[in-house]
Amino acid sequence: MVQLRPRASRAPASASAMVDEGQPASEEEAGHGLLLGQPSSGAAAEPLEEDEEGDDELDDEAPEELTFASAQAEAKEEERRVRETVRRDKALLKEKRKRREELFIEQKKRKLLPDTILEKLTTASQTSVKKSPGKLKEVNLQKKNEEREKGSDSKKAKVQKVQTVGQNKSYMAVRLKDQDLRDSRQEAAKAFIQNCLYGPGTNRTTVNKFLSLENKRLPMKKAAAQFLNNTWGSQRKQNAKRFTKRWMVRKMKTPKT
Amino acid sequence: MGEFNVHRVRFFNYVPSGIRCVAYNNQSNRLAVSRTDGTVEIYNLSANYFQEKFFPGHESRATEALCWAKGQRLFSAGLNGEIIEYDLQALTIKYAVDAFGGPIWSMAASPNASQLLVGCEDGSVKLFQITPDKIQFERNFDRQKRSAIGKMLVDRQYMGVSKRKCIIWGVAFLSDGTVISVDSAGKVQIWDSATGTLVKNHLVSNADVQSIAVSPQEDSFVVGTAEGTVFHFQLVSVTSSSSEKQWVRTKPFQHHTHDVRAVAHSPTALISGGTDTHLVIRPLMEKVEVKNYDAALRKITFPHRRLVSCAKKKQLLLFQFAHHLELWRLGSTVATGKNGDTLPLSKNADHLLHLKTKGPENIICSCISPCGGWIACSTASRFFLYRLNYEHDNISLQRVSKMPVFLRSALQILFSEDSTKLFVASNQGSLRVIRLQEGGFTHPRAFQPQSGTVQSMCLLAVSPDGNWLAASGSSAGVHVYNVKQLKLHCTVPAYNFPVTALAIAPNTNNLVIAHSDQQVFEYSIPDKQYTEWSRTVQKQGFHHLWLQRDTPITHISFHPKRPMHILLHDTYMFCLIDKSLPLPNDKTLLYNPLPPTNESDVIRRRTAHAFKISKKYKPLLFVDLLDEKTLVAVERPLDDIVAQLPPPIKKKKFGT
Repeated sequence: MVQLRPRASRAPASASAMVDEGQPASEEEAGHGLLLGQPSSGAAAEPLEEDEEGDDELDDEAPEELTFASAQAEAKEEERRVRETVRRDKALLKEKRKRREELFIEQKKRKLLPDTILEKLTTASQTSVKKSPGKLKEVNLQKKNEEREKGSDSKKAKVQKVQTVGQNKSYMAVRLKDQDLRDSRQEAAKAFIQNCLYGPGTNRTTVNKFLSLENKRLPMKKAAAQFLNNTWGSQRKQNAKRFTKRWMVRKMKTPKT
Repeated sequence: MGEFNVHRVRFFNYVPSGIRCVAYNNQSNRLAVSRTDGTVEIYNLSANYFQEKFFPGHESRATEALCWAKGQRLFSAGLNGEIIEYDLQALTIKYAVDAFGGPIWSMAASPNASQLLVGCEDGSVKLFQITPDKIQFERNFDRQKRSAIGKMLVDRQYMGVSKRKCIIWGVAFLSDGTVISVDSAGKVQIWDSATGTLVKNHLVSNADVQSIAVSPQEDSFVVGTAEGTVFHFQLVSVTSSSSEKQWVRTKPFQHHTHDVRAVAHSPTALISGGTDTHLVIRPLMEKVEVKNYDAALRKITFPHRRLVSCAKKKQLLLFQFAHHLELWRLGSTVATGKNGDTLPLSKNADHLLHLKTKGPENIICSCISPCGGWIACSTASRFFLYRLNYEHDNISLQRVSKMPVFLRSALQILFSEDSTKLFVASNQGSLRVIRLQEGGFTHPRAFQPQSGTVQSMCLLAVSPDGNWLAASGSSAGVHVYNVKQLKLHCTVPAYNFPVTALAIAPNTNNLVIAHSDQQVFEYSIPDKQYTEWSRTVQKQGFHHLWLQRDTPITHISFHPKRPMHILLHDTYMFCLIDKSLPLPNDKTLLYNPLPPTNESDVIRRRTAHAFKISKKYKPLLFVDLLDEKTLVAVERPLDDIVAQLPPPIKKKKFGT
């Protein structure tokens, strides 16, 4: 009976131990490796080696006999298991990648416009594409005919000042650019004055406080000039008024009916 | 006299706009005042400080400078970059010239009054030549060529000095080379322009000193601060015998509560105006020759024209604001009481309508017809006419579109008593009558004006029977027209003071005219001469207290059943003149309220006189007789105006 010692894990530690041993292990290994064609042949060589060690230490028994078939079976088993794990790992990774891809696609879809608008846009672009060659042709013709460098763009972009020659001068076309500039400067000037007079750094107070100074210094102190806040609860007061109106109307109706 | 129920109205939320610039014209003794909403008012200082002309405001016009040039021409410049000349005869704007330099901060006229200088935002100073029709651009000074402005007597600029962000609000340049500057740190600094050094530094207040004005004689100047104080500086010799003079701060005046943004110096008075909307004219005692009531302080707060019209039959009031109109129905009461009681309202006053006008321009005038069915108002370029329908407390409004072409802007609008005709006085000097119908109007006709005179009609009055129309212009007496024949009937002889109020009495057709020197005349239209009562009053003269009132009479009305009564009012009193009672002479008490009942009848008869004055309700904007027993008095307490002004400078008082 072969007493199988509890083996250590088939980790690279065993491989390193194998290498340290020396030549005989490596020879056996090499032989097995040729036969099996698997790098896990190192694992198959283990049991023999370990048994040798264990035997040397403890008993002076003869080495155990292992048939080639069993060893081969074991080795095959090992390889299968390893292959399985690798396959599982690969499969897992593949699934992960797949899920990720799907997620990205969904996010992208969400970002893009719904399909209907995209369809419209594509059709529109197609039509515009159709039109523009026509325009270009016209422009070219114009350019050719009139031989002017300015072209039609400058006329379209600005709206120049036009004097109406009609009966009633009720309107006048003005350049919008000029108007904006003038308004912005006027606004800036007004803001400057407002800032100087009422902005931060000026020592201003409210009208209420100003008028109440007298009241505070009287021998009989009076309340502030604007003691009541008449704007408080204006919405509530309005609602109350409306309610009373409606209630009165209802009251008027009921004795009649 | 009669007992009246008085509707005391305080819901007219009138807030005048602050004064921005003031310019004094020495030749004609007139003052031009420009306000923050763009309105320019002309006050005639010799006609008892009466506001005789005004130009309506415009939202885009933010005037920063106002000046008189070449005698009677008025120019203003503002932040919209335009220089505007005002036509004082036609009461419109003559033209506006764009200076193309951005917002204009200051403007000054040369001493020979033929050139105009403006200081623009982009740092350049532009010179304009004043031609008889227009102004022409002449030259452009860049920042470096500041010395060329040396010839100008007075030049006001905004300059930003970099250290501690001190802003110079005003600069005055005197002919001997002294430059005086006032800045936001509260300092008045006197510089010598020849050496470019600071001669004297006066720390005048903690807040900004915002305005400066030099007298024409250059021996005194006045500055206004943000706290409302106005300081007077005078050139005084160092000792009584030496010829060396220096500037000394002599008098402080505290007449304002808010910033004083504009001051002017006439030969005899200091004029100041600011954010608190008062115009204060303080005559200097040492300059005034005759020390009488004329040398007292004048404070002009309320407008010198009517802003309220009344539809008597329906008890409606129309209030005119700068950009909208409000229609209110008066409340009613069923209680009765004795003299002096306050009766509780059974029905509150109703805010019926809030009409906003389109456009940036201010409303010039407005009117409601006596039946309450029509409202008309006018801005500088448009005329609005609305038809009102009343059904069971509801009101519906219809705009009458398609106004006739000539009806662009009106200076005064008046409806006839039966509400069938509309009288419009426009600024081209024409008077038109338009017949009103359900759908709109028909038959616009013009009155033939007197040949040769093209003047703007300021005041209108129509007789209750609809036959006569009285119109007063800026000069040359009151014209009375026959409405049916559209012809001039007669002209009241001209008086040297402007007319402040006009009215025609029912039945007798007497025209009552009030002038700015507090004289009241009564002219009979059918007889074409002054009435007996008027001649008696003129012979005896008015009571001296009556003549010393500050504010002009703005409205005259009559009692429908008592032809001897005339009701008139100014800002601080309303008076019922009883023509059947004797006139007061200078010795009697003018203002005598009802004497106590335990006095004997003899004394009561002795003290009773024709002028029954009540000062119970003030400040008054409008008083009228609604019917025989009811008066309406529209008051505007000053506190309510002050409560809506911008914030003033903080004043620290001990103990608060």
